[in-house]
Amino acid sequence: MLEMFMTAPFWVDVLKIIMIDVLLSGDNAVVIALACRNLPAEQRKQGILFGMAGAVVLRIVLTFFAVSLLSLPYLKLVGAFLLIWIGIKLILPEDEHDEGSIKADTRLFGAIKTIIIADFVMSLDNVLGVAAAAKGNVSLLVFGLLISIPLIAWSSQLVLKLIDRFPYIIYAGGALLGYVAGEMLVSEALFAPLVEAHPALHWLIPGVCAVLVLTVGKWLAMRKTTTERAINLLDGKVTVVADKSSDVISK
Amino acid sequence: MKILIPLDGSSNAERAVSYVVSQLGRWKEMPTVLLLNVQWKVATGNVKLFINQDTINAYYREQGMSAMQSACSILDAAHISYQYHISVGKPAEAIAQYAQEEGVDEIVMCRQGQGGVQQVLLGSVVNKVLHLAACPVLLVK
Repeated sequence: MLEMFMTAPFWVDVLKIIMIDVLLSGDNAVVIALACRNLPAEQRKQGILFGMAGAVVLRIVLTFFAVSLLSLPYLKLVGAFLLIWIGIKLILPEDEHDEGSIKADTRLFGAIKTIIIADFVMSLDNVLGVAAAAKGNVSLLVFGLLISIPLIAWSSQLVLKLIDRFPYIIYAGGALLGYVAGEMLVSEALFAPLVEAHPALHWLIPGVCAVLVLTVGKWLAMRKTTTERAINLLDGKVTVVADKSSDVISK
Repeated sequence: MKILIPLDGSSNAERAVSYVVSQLGRWKEMPTVLLLNVQWKVATGNVKLFINQDTINAYYREQGMSAMQSACSILDAAHISYQYHISVGKPAEAIAQYAQEEGVDEIVMCRQGQGGVQQVLLGSVVNKVLHLAACPVLLVK
């Protein structure tokens, strides 16, 4: 058991999982905070608490689902393609689309429902990535979960700040997701005879997938690249007129 | 004379405000003081699927106003007129952009005061502003 922790590949896998967790965790904390904003003050704490608990439980359940699903034939194939897509999405700049029609829920139950559904959708990429990187190793899987849980609760500003400081981190993350997807492809039972015949495929396919994600991601990003402008949200003025201050707020 | 003071809600940023207040006598005319808080754009694609834009904007506004609160009260106490503004985006870029849009003559700011690992990993807004800004930047120690 202990020897396992001493090997280099194990630590490489640990690093992979941390990276995937950090880059694909982002949004949950924001949704929890925002969904509870419209609740009456006394229910807000409750909402956040239930929301977080729900998110954590959901993450655990989803992870184990993902692992058992990925042991089925052909599903690794699907998972690998999904991961490649997730990697490309990571590299792509944000689309500005306005979903104007969502109603703000002012009831506790409604807020929790929003949080859980959002968590479900937003956990999928993370769970799939971690499950693929863990390659069925239970201790790695649990480790990945443990890392992701504080990230759910934590402010996602951390991720934004990291990307701002090291913009290339998203390319590294995209390549990593591609690589992990490739590893998943190689381990797909369907290709077992082929891979056995050509051992070089063990690193060739992940490499090709990583490059694929990078090139497609970069190419798509270049097509719609616009330097993102900061949005002006609020303008206000306080004018002191003979000791009387008046507030003028304009949007 | 337009002076822009970017604020992140930390006590360091308040020092920049106090400094400007203490130096106001230097100018013949009363300078225009602009306060700016930049909110990270935390609500991206996926979040927008579940939360409407009004709620998101209200959140930015609340966070932004609370970050500028103490600076506002310093200026209120000193009976100085000022404008305040909240932008959403990357801090350094948004500061430079706003300074340009408003034709600001000088940006006065303090370091965030983070050291060690944080400084290395997350970088410094001041350093970036020094690069990006088209006007003089005064760094209050």
